[in-house]
Amino acid sequence: MAEPKIPIDLILKRLSEDADKAQTRAQKASEVLIAPLDTEIASTPYDVVYEEDRVKLKHYNRAAPSPDEGLKTPLLVVYALINRETMLDLQPGRSVVHSFLESGIDLYMVDWGYPSRKDRFLTIDDHVNGYMDNMVDFILEKHNLTQINLMGICMGGTFCVIYSALHPKKIKNLITTVTPTNFDTDQGLLHIWMKDVDVDRMVDAFGNIPADLMNFGFLLLNPARLMIDKYVGFSENMDNKTFVENFVRMEKWIFDSPDVPGETFRQFVKDCYHKNLLIQNKMEVGGERVDLRKITMPLLNFYGQYDHLVPPGACDLLTSKVGSKDTEDICLDTGHIGIYVSSKCQKEFAPKIARWLRERDEEKERTSGKKTKRGKTRTSLKKAKGSIT
Amino acid sequence: MVEDNSAPETLLEAWMKSATRFWDSMAKAWTGPLSASETPKPPGGAHESRARESMGSTLRMWQTISSTMIEPGAMDSLFQGINALPEVLTKTAQTGWEKFFAFQRQWFERAGKIGERTEAYKFDNLDQDAFRAWAEIYEEEFRKFLNVPQLGLTRAYQERMGRFTDRFNLFQGAMAQFIYLLYLPMEKSFKVMQERLEALSREKQLPENSQDYYRMWVKILEGHFMTLFKSSEYTQVLGKTLSAMEDFMVAKNEMLQDFVQMLPVPTQKDMDGLYKELYFLKRRVKQLEKSSRQ
Repeated sequence: MAEPKIPIDLILKRLSEDADKAQTRAQKASEVLIAPLDTEIASTPYDVVYEEDRVKLKHYNRAAPSPDEGLKTPLLVVYALINRETMLDLQPGRSVVHSFLESGIDLYMVDWGYPSRKDRFLTIDDHVNGYMDNMVDFILEKHNLTQINLMGICMGGTFCVIYSALHPKKIKNLITTVTPTNFDTDQGLLHIWMKDVDVDRMVDAFGNIPADLMNFGFLLLNPARLMIDKYVGFSENMDNKTFVENFVRMEKWIFDSPDVPGETFRQFVKDCYHKNLLIQNKMEVGGERVDLRKITMPLLNFYGQYDHLVPPGACDLLTSKVGSKDTEDICLDTGHIGIYVSSKCQKEFAPKIARWLRERDEEKERTSGKKTKRGKTRTSLKKAKGSIT
Repeated sequence: MVEDNSAPETLLEAWMKSATRFWDSMAKAWTGPLSASETPKPPGGAHESRARESMGSTLRMWQTISSTMIEPGAMDSLFQGINALPEVLTKTAQTGWEKFFAFQRQWFERAGKIGERTEAYKFDNLDQDAFRAWAEIYEEEFRKFLNVPQLGLTRAYQERMGRFTDRFNLFQGAMAQFIYLLYLPMEKSFKVMQERLEALSREKQLPENSQDYYRMWVKILEGHFMTLFKSSEYTQVLGKTLSAMEDFMVAKNEMLQDFVQMLPVPTQKDMDGLYKELYFLKRRVKQLEKSSRQ
């Protein structure tokens, strides 16, 4: 009789050795799971200072810094229409919001809310020239200023780029993070798949694009990791209370997804994914052409080396297309969400933004109105490298 | 000469005479007690008298008809019509059967074609061809019955119901193919894992830790998924599934709309119209508000 090719007995012996450990872990895990868990997200206090339809403007309470500590120009953060802005304040110790407040940033954040069927006709114009512009005006008026700082995340970053090109006078500094502006790339699966999506059919069928459908699509980008490995990792660590709490926080955030207004989705897919109009200065919003050369304010552009949703190729062209002479690209050694939540990036991402803004906030006073001459830089941060300079 | 009692005329005449006698006696029996003895009126009063009157009138009508039919002239004219009847019936039945057999023959032919089509594919091993075969059979053979033109007052409703069934079937087919495609990397990863374990065993390098086996497998699986996702076949199937789902959604909404319309609630179509109007109104107000501020 032929000898079996795979020594099943040996493999099973090794597996049984681990089974004992797993049993002990499961016992402890049951105690962790039934005990009270702190899984609250977005716990930093804020006030809703402006409301329009479903959209809210959050203002975070700064820990009353002394006049020289705090930045004079407020920062407005615009999140994407996909998922929610709570990701920036996911857990204690890993909160971009908290880091910004600690750095003395006067922070405002857009909460896009949950679009209902009545919002299906809202276009990019309504979001950018409507809600965003009204919120910027509100902040300017409140602080008696002429300019604010603007930071965008993912699709929210694309909105910020469009806004800055259409209203350059209102923006002092622009920060884009994992922001797609060049859609003609085959680096990410999303870009490949979106090219074949019949968006008209989709919007006509659904009205708004259902969040569950999009989430399913995102999970399909890497099912082995996102649908199997992630939960295997959870089972291996479920006896660790802190791990479980943080895992549940992430689960809460990732599946707390609003639907996307149909007409906005239609225009975004057609003009950006299908025709790649934005980077070519050919996109039109509210009847006006979006000319990236009108972005003359300082621009800081972050993206992730391993971002499977918005790959580097979708982000790194922007700085070369804008009119600004003061631009900086920073490629972090992480993925799409890691930029905001990984412990390593917590030390690099928010502090760098605070430092960059402070340099430009103080500049006007120091140079009596004359701007410091800055060039275009690109930094790539690999694991071996230290903190951002 | 022997009288032919089996002739239809004689038979009907005899039957008519007996029927006339029957209705005659019935009429007498019904009205008899009233005329023979002046029994007191039942408690039903006028109500019961009306019922009795109505019954009496019906019986009298049947009696009249029967008596009329006994008249030789009436019987002759009736028989002229009856003699023509079997011919008409035979012709009608013949035409009906012919159509029915033709229809049945078509069905058998179609059924035969189904066999011919499926022969080209391998059903013994479940693979892509099975889904293609099903899609082809459905689209070529069954689908056309759902698209048969509907007639009459309810034709639009029936058409929408047919469309819903059709789109549902197409969506199910596309979804099955898509899910099968997603399962393929899993199947392949087990095969590769087996080969790798064989190789490691030969080299006496089997991992000590069960975690290492898992990590090895998940990496293989991830690789297979990536290869699949980049393939044009996957993109095609994904696109087809999405389109089928969208078509099904539209058909489902159209059909449900018919049901909701019967209820005292606004339909989605009504609401969409209202939302659109509201959207443009709000937009206009906001523009005016902004321009008045400037």
